[in-house]
Amino acid sequence: MKTQLSHTQNKALGTITYVIILVITAFAFNPMYGQSQNAATTQTLQNERTIKGIISNEDGPLESASIILKGTKTGTVTNNKGEFTFPQALKTGDILLISYLGYETIKVKIKDDTSFIRLMLSEDLIEFVGALNTDKPYKSKRSN
Amino acid sequence: MKSLRYIIIFIFAFQSNAQISDFDTINFQEADRIALECKNETLDNLPQLSYKLTSKLTTDVERFRAIYMWVCGNIANDYRLFSKNMRKRQHFKNDSLKLKQWNNQIRKVIFKKLLNENKTLCTGYAYLIKELSNLANIECEIVHGFGRTSTVNIENFTTPNHSWNAVKLDGKWYLCDPTWASGKPNPATFRFEFDYNDGFFLTNPKLFAINHYPVDKKWLLLESNNPSFKTFIEAPIIYGKAYAKLSNHNAPKKMHNNIKKNEKVVFKFQLLKPVEKEDIYLLIDNGNRSKKIYPKSTTIENQSLIVEYEFEKSGFYDVHFLIGAELISTYTFKVKS
Repeated sequence: MKTQLSHTQNKALGTITYVIILVITAFAFNPMYGQSQNAATTQTLQNERTIKGIISNEDGPLESASIILKGTKTGTVTNNKGEFTFPQALKTGDILLISYLGYETIKVKIKDDTSFIRLMLSEDLIEFVGALNTDKPYKSKRSN
Repeated sequence: MKSLRYIIIFIFAFQSNAQISDFDTINFQEADRIALECKNETLDNLPQLSYKLTSKLTTDVERFRAIYMWVCGNIANDYRLFSKNMRKRQHFKNDSLKLKQWNNQIRKVIFKKLLNENKTLCTGYAYLIKELSNLANIECEIVHGFGRTSTVNIENFTTPNHSWNAVKLDGKWYLCDPTWASGKPNPATFRFEFDYNDGFFLTNPKLFAINHYPVDKKWLLLESNNPSFKTFIEAPIIYGKAYAKLSNHNAPKKMHNNIKKNEKVVFKFQLLKPVEKEDIYLLIDNGNRSKKIYPKSTTIENQSLIVEYEFEKSGFYDVHFLIGAELISTYTFKVKS
């Protein structure tokens, strides 16, 4: 009975070893894209959370700065204290675009530990010039 | 080996500058419709505006087109702001500290005007196009330089007076001038009037270089033979309508010409669209009166337009070239006997 059992066990062990080798071989040639992606999804689903923040410029809190989720039109604007609460729960890896006309747009990538964003926008240092086009015909200056 | 040589010659002969004809197969109707649909959008949320303009379009050139059309159709040129800024910049041109102070001061005013009134100057147009394009993942730059029109005094060409854009589409850089495309000031009232000119969208760099000279020469986008600043200053005056009618202006190369009586003068242009020979004429002004002249020899072959003219009398003439009553270019001729 004992020997028979061990014989069955041996046989099962053999099959398991075979399967393990087969699996290892299979994965050795095929990196586990499927698995790692599943893992990431599960993790981010758990990580979905509300993001808040405060945006300012060199003078203090900036009202009406816009915050938008990259690649969508979901977004919000800051109140008169420069504060915002993003209207949709965000997950790790999402990118927020924070902008205000005349200031450099900043991309903020949501990390695992991001819950509050504190940012100061810096001015787009642009020199303004402008020539207008015209249809007025050229006229030579003549001395006579 | 022989055939290989021919292939190489063929490749070189047909290498053309980046321009609108690269996208002949693309219809911009959908992009233009979207730009029009967004007419009431404001500038307080650029990422959202960029998304609305581009998210339904598939190619980068169409996405850029929607942005460009929106800016050209919704942003007005502020003539008062323009002249005040130019006056101050000219005044402070030798005092870099004061110029910087002025610039910091005016920048805030300009952005406020842009946000609240949709009004700006050239750099404002170029800035918006760049920002909206970058938000849609399209590479786009502001190009600063010299813009030459019939009323610009070239003696003031010590500091740049104009800005436009370079945009990268399908791996190639292209030029456009949204300010000059959007409209012009009314000659009498100086009030800005929208009057869209499609000729400034992805223009042939060779034509563009006749009245646009960038501070950084790489933005000429010419594969070879970059013109010098002197060549640019000496070039003829071309008007907005030249961009609507021509893909290149080949001759005369200069604005001011000295010739002899009965010497042949050749005007050579490459046309964008077919034109009628009867629509082509010159307005020749001798200082006292202006005469409309239909040239004796006009040939159009493969969209290449060649007009020949001979002056029969000596004198000094302003010569305007017109196609269908539209002013294309101006030259002066000093004719000696």
